[in-house]
This record gives sequence, structure tokens and C-alpha cells, in this order.
Amino acid sequence: MKTLFVLLMCLAPPVWAQDWKLDAGKSQVQFVIKQMNVSTEGGFRRFIVHASFDPAKPEAGRFRVDVDTASADTGSAEGDDEVKRPAWFDSKAHPWAIFSAKNVRREADGRYTAFGDLAIKGQSHALAAPFTLTRQGNAWLARGRFPLKRSAYGIGGGDWTDVVADDLEVRFNLVLLP
Amino acid sequence: MNQGYRWPLVGLHWLTLLLIVVAYVIGSLLEDMTLSPLKLKLYAWHKWAGMTVLFFLPLRLLLRLTERIDHAAGLLRWEARASAAVHGALYLLLLLVPLLGWLQSSAAGFSVVWFGVLPLPDLVGKDKALAEFFKELHEGSVNLLVTLVALHAAAALYHQHVRHDGVLARMVPWLRNKP
Ligand code: HEM
Repeated sequence: MKTLFVLLMCLAPPVWAQDWKLDAGKSQVQFVIKQMNVSTEGGFRRFIVHASFDPAKPEAGRFRVDVDTASADTGSAEGDDEVKRPAWFDSKAHPWAIFSAKNVRREADGRYTAFGDLAIKGQSHALAAPFTLTRQGNAWLARGRFPLKRSAYGIGGGDWTDVVADDLEVRFNLVLLP
Repeated sequence: MNQGYRWPLVGLHWLTLLLIVVAYVIGSLLEDMTLSPLKLKLYAWHKWAGMTVLFFLPLRLLLRLTERIDHAAGLLRWEARASAAVHGALYLLLLLVPLLGWLQSSAAGFSVVWFGVLPLPDLVGKDKALAEFFKELHEGSVNLLVTLVALHAAAALYHQHVRHDGVLARMVPWLRNKP
């Protein structure tokens, strides 16, 4: 009996590592693109966050964000349909865009950078995502933004290059509940 | 009878017509197009042409209000009234049509950057239902504008070919001084 207990203790995750739950209603993953030199905001309606960290020491935590590429909100129904197509996200073949942080560096009080890989449409590149972590009641808000190039992931090539700028910005606001 | 409008007003009159035709043709094309890079370009050109109409409107009104042409000369009373009413309505629509387009774009969350260089402020916040509402009004006002432009042109041709009173020549310099 005692051995079984010790065995179970070894298999269980470390006690400090809480698995946090996403408050989806209050969280956003957004992008700002430029089409014909007009900045336009959009976002994703569905994403999943796996986070386990100790708020006192987030550097030791683990973060992963999975974004449903078919859930893009571009501001128009025809835009939403378009970006699922093979020229853009190719959502049938690549339903998820995934950022998984390998390590987190503390920059200052409440300011961190997550280093990891961003995988979209079958291509993966290293990414450094700066973010702030602030307390909101019993929840924690992780908030940040980083630039991205569409061409690095083959999103929206061809004739679209003329009208939609390669550079875009990703913004995230993730409210995490214990 | 040979008096005419000054050339800046004549220029703005025909430029406005050109811009309206461009905006109208592109706007009608947009309705049936599926999303493509070309469509995004046409959207932009549509907005640029329409906003240019709006930008020139104050100058045009200023020039028009300082003209000293006697519009009622040679007209029956109802004709003078009708032409004043149509002209007034045309100016109002030259304001409303682009303004409603601008409102629609703002509400839809697609701002206007005039000719890709001058960012214009959003008139209202992003709101889907509001965008749909302004879209209806934009379409409705466009239809009214086109109807009145046709009436306006028909009246001008009537003056030229039936009344032979030189009214059209006021706005068409190369028709002036002809019998
Ligand atoms: C003289 C000025 C203008 C004219 C004659 C004009 C004409 C038109 C026409 C004919 C349509 C198609 C309407 C329909 O669906 O039946 C249209 C649509 C539209 N216009 Fe304009 N327009 C003008 C100015 C503007 C301006 C200044 C803007 C924005 C800044 C604008 C934005 C739009 C938009 C967003 C649509 C909707 C296209 C769609 O989604 O189907 N318009 N316009």
C-alpha cells in the first residue's frame, strides 16, 4: 500500500504546477493586418490554452496556445471563408496553429518573454512573444503582441501579396483562472 | 444668354460626373464579385473616387453661391422651382451618398485611407448591424442620385435641343458662341 502511494506520487505532476483554465469569454487572440494600406483588426473565435505555472515564478511554467484556423473573424463573411482556403490557412489540412513556449524569461516585474515555436500550416519557426502578467481578482491576465510575416508560413501568397501587407501583428489577451 | 459659369465650377461639375460614374460602375461591380485581390482594389478605388466627390463639394458650393447667373431667366415659375429643387437635392445627395458610404465603411471596421496615403477618421465604431443599416441607406441614396442625375441631364438636353436657350452652354464652354 505504501509503495503504491509513493509510486503514484512519482507519476503525478509536481504539486506547484497548477493547470490553469482559460476564461474564453474574456480572452482574445487578434491580428492586425494591412490591406490596401488600411489597418484592419481581426481575430479568432476559438482557441485553447494549456498553461501551468506558479504566478510567483512563471519562468518555470509551461504555456501552449492552440488556435483553430477555421475560426478566423476577418470582419466580413467572405473574408472568413477566404482565409480557410488552401492559399491562406488551408484549414482542412492544417486545422490548428500552435504556439508552444519552451521557456519563459523574466524581463522585469510582471514582464516576461516566452520563447518557443509557432507552427502554422505545417511550418514551424522560433518565436519570442513578450507579455505582461497581471492579477485580476483571482485570475491572471497574460497580454502581449508580436510581429509576424505571412510569407514565413506561406499564408496568402499569389496575387494577394499586392493588396495585403506581409507584415502583421498578433495580439493576445488571455485571462487564466486557477 | 451667352453668360456661362466660370471655368473652375465647370471643371468641378464635369469632374464630379466622372467620379460619380467611376464610383457607380465600380460599386455595381462589387455587388456581384466574390472576394479577390481585384475586389479589394476596386473597393479602395470606389471609396477614393467617392471621397473625392465629398472633398470637392465645399469648394463647389462656395463657387456656386458666388455665381451671378439668373437661373430663373426665361423659365416659367414651376420650371424655375423644379430646377432649383432638383439642384438642391443633387447637392444634398452629393453630400449624403459619400457620407453614408463613409459611415458604412467605418461601421464595418474597414477604415478609409484616401488614395492609400491619407487615413480618414472612422465616423462611428465597429458595429455590424449599423453597417448593414448604412449600407441600405447608401444604396437607396445612390439610386436617388442616379435618378436625379438622369432627370438633370434630360432637362439640360431639352434646353439645348427644344428650347435652344443656351442653358447647356453655360456648363459646356465649347457650345458657347454658337448659333
Ligand atoms: C459619389 C459617390 C458614390 C457613389 C455614386 C457610390 C455608389 C455605390 C454603388 C452603386 C454601390 C453598390 C450599391 C448596391 O449594393 O446596390 C455602392 C456600394 C458601396 N459603397 Fe459607394 N458610392 C459612392 C461613395 C462611396 C464612399 C465615399 C464610400 C466609402 C468611403 C463608399 C462605400 C461603399 C461600400 C462599402 C459599398 C458596399 C459594397 C458591398 O459591400 O457590396 N461609397 N456604392
